[in-house]
Amino acid sequence: MPRRIVVVGGGAAGIGAAGAAKQTNPGAQVTVFTEFEDVGYSPCGIPYVHGREIPTFEQLFLATKETYDEAGIDIRYETRVERLDPTAHEVHVEGDGAVGYDALIVATGFEYADPGVPGSDLEGLHYVKNIRRAMEWDPVLEEAKVAVVVEATPLGLEMVTALAHRGLETHLVDPRPWALAEVADPDIMQPVQDSWADMGVKMHFNTPVEAFVGDGKVRAVRTPEEELPADLVVICTHKRPNNRLAREAGIKIGSTGGIIVDQRMHTLTEGVFAAGDCTEIPHGVTKVPIQGLSGSHAYAQGKVAGTTAGGGDRAYNPVDVPWGMVAGKWMIGGVSFGETTASALKFPYVMGVAEGISRARYYPDMKKIRVKLLADPGTHRLLGAQMVGGEGIKERADFLAMAVRKGVTLEDLATMENVYSPPIGALNEPISLAAQNALAGTKG
Amino acid sequence: MPFFEWLRSNSERYLLEAAQHDMAARYGIEAPAPRGSVFWRRIFTPLYRLLPWGLRRAIMSAMPGSHRRWMRRAPP
Repeated sequence: MPRRIVVVGGGAAGIGAAGAAKQTNPGAQVTVFTEFEDVGYSPCGIPYVHGREIPTFEQLFLATKETYDEAGIDIRYETRVERLDPTAHEVHVEGDGAVGYDALIVATGFEYADPGVPGSDLEGLHYVKNIRRAMEWDPVLEEAKVAVVVEATPLGLEMVTALAHRGLETHLVDPRPWALAEVADPDIMQPVQDSWADMGVKMHFNTPVEAFVGDGKVRAVRTPEEELPADLVVICTHKRPNNRLAREAGIKIGSTGGIIVDQRMHTLTEGVFAAGDCTEIPHGVTKVPIQGLSGSHAYAQGKVAGTTAGGGDRAYNPVDVPWGMVAGKWMIGGVSFGETTASALKFPYVMGVAEGISRARYYPDMKKIRVKLLADPGTHRLLGAQMVGGEGIKERADFLAMAVRKGVTLEDLATMENVYSPPIGALNEPISLAAQNALAGTKG
Repeated sequence: MPFFEWLRSNSERYLLEAAQHDMAARYGIEAPAPRGSVFWRRIFTPLYRLLPWGLRRAIMSAMPGSHRRWMRRAPP
């Protein structure tokens, strides 16, 4: 009898898991249950279609339904799993009853935190998640004049930029003192906020939402200071693990609300694996479990879960979280953590900052880059970094993530070799300059 | 909400808010008005900050979670 592997959830983690399970064990019977109409697309691309940087939603699809049929993966679309029963090794499917498994992979993803204010059920509040809902909602943007984005999370930054790019009067409302304040430092975000101001975005920081106002359909967002008129509202609150099924099944949950897993993505329940936004993963530097990572993390975790569930052996590492994005007219990014998080944890660090350039000074379209490095005060091992610049942020974030993982020190970075070629790299690498400044600071 | 989720959620929120307040002052940005629980702002946060890093790390490590099953990097 073939090994029966059931995956609950058809996002990046679920599809990664199904593909890896089938690759590891081609004879396995792999079944994916998803509540939605589609799998195999990039939800991360949705803001860019709203912003018209990408012409159509169809371009976000990475594979057709036939692709999965041909791969031997049985995907049950628009099918709700009602209950997990790890004792009986079954999942209970709406309309189909009990479905047995030898290995279960929970990849139920995330849900946005409830704004928790009156009017949260009004029409006109949009959550960016499902591509079909985004397709239905996109025409609203043709008619709308004023948009309010609630909370400057990573998605919030993308939506503010997209809506401003689309020509709407865009307001950003956030209770914190600067954008992305739970991740990024104020000096990193200042150029972004300046560029938003240039694009006409109106920012309302230190401002909580008190209510969404309307009669059936939202017409305003109420804050302590004013009532902001709104034709539409985009809710970009934090991503919370969608773990109702896991909790009800008694699968152990950690302090973040994510499912507890080991390095092979096995939960504390025999035969049950988990991957993606529904799990929690230890941070590589602090060792504290964190939750709500990127699509690339979810996919990689799915691959590990699928391989292990299929009978193979693959392990996942603690995460150092390289990140990067376009916000306003800038790219921002980093790895691990910056000053704000280090200050919150009271994590000891020394710091170096440098302003550099992305190409030779005389070369057209040269961009500025600001690099901030945090290192251990005793060993000088790199702990984290943050950057803002016109280009070259993603590559530096990836490089610095490997540097954190491998224990690279400020001394290593201060003396690093770098590519010098006028169209693609300046004489002095900003990372090296920041490390040199940090070392100069430690010498008083 | 289970105890450890409640503890993590509140400690994370109030420690971050305190750090944002400090950072706002350091970078000359308007700081947010204090909001929420007096206990977490006036008692927990200062107490946490007084503890040495080693003790703070030990307390965090003692909480239930994935980190307790997985403290080292995977072999290459």
